[in-house]
Amino acid sequence: MLIKYWPAKTNIPFMRYRYVGVALSILMIIGSFVLLATRGLNLGVDFAGGSVIELTESETVTVSEVRSKIGNGLTVNSATDTDGTRRIVIRFGDLDESLLGPEFAALSPEEKVERASSESNTFVVNEIKSTFNLTDQDILRNDSVGPKVSGELFREGMIALGVATIMMLLYIAFRYSWSYAIGGVAALAHDAIGTMGLFSLLQIEFDLTTVAALLTIIGYSINDSVVVFDRIRKVRRKYKQMPSNEVIDIATNETLSRTFLTAGTTLIAILAITIFGGPVLQGMSIAMIWGIFIGTYSSIFFASAIVMALGTDIRRPGVPDDTPGFQGAS
Amino acid sequence: MLQFPAWKVLLVLVVLAWGVVMALPNAVNMSGAPDWVPKKSVNLGLDLRGGVYLEMEIRPQDVIGGRLDVFARDVRSALMERTDTQAPVLHLAEVSGRTMTITLTRADASGNFPVDDAIARIEKVNGPLEGGLAGGKTFDVARAGPDRIAVTVPANSENLMVTDALAKTETIVRRRIDPDGVAEISITRSGSNRLILEAPGEPDPQRLKDLLSRDGRMTFNIVDDSASSIAAAQAGVVKPGFRLVSGPTTEPLLIRSIPEIVGSDIASASQGNDEANRPQINFRLNSNGARKFFETTRANTNKRFAIVLDDSVMSAPNINEPIPGGNVRITGDFTMEEAQDLAAIISAGEMPAKVQFLDQRVVSSTLGEDSIRSGYLAAIVGLSLVGTFMILAYGAQGVFAVASLAMNIVLIFASLTLLNATLTLPGIAGIILTIGMAVDANVLVFERIREEQRNGRSIWTAVQAGYERALITILDSNITTLFAAGILYALGSGPVKGFAVTLALGIITSVFTAFIFTRMLTVFWMKIAKPKRFAV
Repeated sequence: MLIKYWPAKTNIPFMRYRYVGVALSILMIIGSFVLLATRGLNLGVDFAGGSVIELTESETVTVSEVRSKIGNGLTVNSATDTDGTRRIVIRFGDLDESLLGPEFAALSPEEKVERASSESNTFVVNEIKSTFNLTDQDILRNDSVGPKVSGELFREGMIALGVATIMMLLYIAFRYSWSYAIGGVAALAHDAIGTMGLFSLLQIEFDLTTVAALLTIIGYSINDSVVVFDRIRKVRRKYKQMPSNEVIDIATNETLSRTFLTAGTTLIAILAITIFGGPVLQGMSIAMIWGIFIGTYSSIFFASAIVMALGTDIRRPGVPDDTPGFQGAS
Repeated sequence: MLQFPAWKVLLVLVVLAWGVVMALPNAVNMSGAPDWVPKKSVNLGLDLRGGVYLEMEIRPQDVIGGRLDVFARDVRSALMERTDTQAPVLHLAEVSGRTMTITLTRADASGNFPVDDAIARIEKVNGPLEGGLAGGKTFDVARAGPDRIAVTVPANSENLMVTDALAKTETIVRRRIDPDGVAEISITRSGSNRLILEAPGEPDPQRLKDLLSRDGRMTFNIVDDSASSIAAAQAGVVKPGFRLVSGPTTEPLLIRSIPEIVGSDIASASQGNDEANRPQINFRLNSNGARKFFETTRANTNKRFAIVLDDSVMSAPNINEPIPGGNVRITGDFTMEEAQDLAAIISAGEMPAKVQFLDQRVVSSTLGEDSIRSGYLAAIVGLSLVGTFMILAYGAQGVFAVASLAMNIVLIFASLTLLNATLTLPGIAGIILTIGMAVDANVLVFERIREEQRNGRSIWTAVQAGYERALITILDSNITTLFAAGILYALGSGPVKGFAVTLALGIITSVFTAFIFTRMLTVFWMKIAKPKRFAV
């Protein structure tokens, strides 16, 4: 006996509630912008520059010991790995110049800016090694990113998001029409902004892997929207005189089972990463879990509402209604 | 859609068999297998195997400053040379940023400075730039005042100089870190003036940085040991043509500014042991260097010869007798590792410009092993949960979907091996994510088949229509995700690139397995089991 995760036939008048959906979305977008402007993102070393060092916690090396003995404006926290071992995570930016020795003090101001992060890292690593009698093998991770690279990485990440969005806009405009393209891209922008808002709200570290997660969310969201669009196009061809809201409702209801099944399987896979993938992948997987929810929601309410406002018509000049071989047999 | 001629079946089977053979070394130790079996497994990224990642750059102004410094020596000999018709042109040359300013210090009887004469002399030693335009000169030499000449680098030569310097730096970096050429390090150029060094298994970034941050400027200079000169120098009056340098093991020494032997005279250097079995550094000079060394030692017997590396005296032995042959050694209080590193620095040669470190990432091998383990666990759990979910939802069809999912993972590993791509921790996340998303294609098809059945179609037409109608949706939705992966790959770096690779490969292979392999299994099942309906 098979399990039915979702009834085969539903008849939910999604478009009747579209104003509620759009209002919620706009509230969320405004809220995200307010959060981003006031709280900002908790930028990780990739984008903010500075250092992260990780050690294994032991009898002698504990968070409080590191705090009291190394001090110097470091942020010391603990993290737990999946197998239960505890790690000490030490974060810091540029240390006070007086600690970095005479050779550093003699540099020109611009050299100081460029080398401060690397020199600070060396200083702290040496302090840790000598204070706790550790070797290089005891240092699990040691990342140090200078101001030049961190700025570039942030810029590149944002460019990647922008370029991906434009490519998708063009592809959907080519395959469907501009109203679908705008709807789909609005939905993915909605999801990206909402995810960044969540990161700002919870102050989860925003780093390179998070940008990767954002791009995946965008990919997932557009994937979801395209499936619904595809169905809208089919229904529209079948019932040429039907009002847009009914067309969209039929299409959304017909794809709903698939929408939830796919969201479910993807969610299961990501939950496995969150629970078993270790601390490195946690930020990324939290972003993706949120992204699945918001991506599913936006393709049902947000993208469709925009397509509805702009028109579901996909006839373009020169393209016959039913391109043979393209749609398959009906 | 439902016809599978023999060649098609064969093709699918060949692809799958290829996948299994290519992916197998990742799961099983293949060392005992026959020669024709591929044994290469996927490259693991530094975050999974541990090691040091360093991004560094050379700055164009440093490269140009270095070239001007070298040119200053040519200018000096050109201007100071006395010929039958010309007297030496006294001058001061100063390199600041991208300009060398030459100030003439002696005017003729009428108060004019011989600027034109000086420019003519400088132009004689101003050769064409390697790789530059034919007939073009390396430097622009121009009058900059009644007693001044400015030497600059033309804008179009700058890029050539930086490219050339980067190539040299790359070679030197490799030779310093891996003098024997055995270590598995990777050095890649990034942009016009950056290098990315990846050293798997290396735990200590500081050792690498120390090795690379030295200029490696090696010179042998004659020492002035006269007490009066040293006293004057320490009081602040350094004898012209000399300079005061110190070293870790020596008192400050007054050495001749112009070296007798320079880095290019050295053929090779290696770590050796002295009579007491303490580490020392052995050099061999090339024929030119050996000749100069012999002549210098003959002319300066009973003086001291300072061996200077980057303005620091390493050792200053006494010249007891002329030394032929060109074999030299430095003894000192070195550890074995220090001696090896110094030998590597000396034989690699001088950096064209100082290396600046921009980005450093170090992962220990323990953390890497942890990450592999947790990634593996997450993949197994993810796959089995998704599998259970699919079988519960679709029965026999679900089993086919799971089979194609497993094949999908095999094919991802096979293509990673084929493309020589690197698997990173986010890459593993990408694979797990494709597990979730790959079933989407199956879900789309199965849901479509159910729908067709509800509309009263027979099983064969329902399956036929389901696959046909879902195809375009699957392609559209996957192509858009592929865009995201492609852009991540183009613009991302390191681990993110790894994520993009597995995501993109996963999308491509999942369309193959979900759309072709599952369909083939379904068709065979329908032929053999002859079911009346699909379970709904």
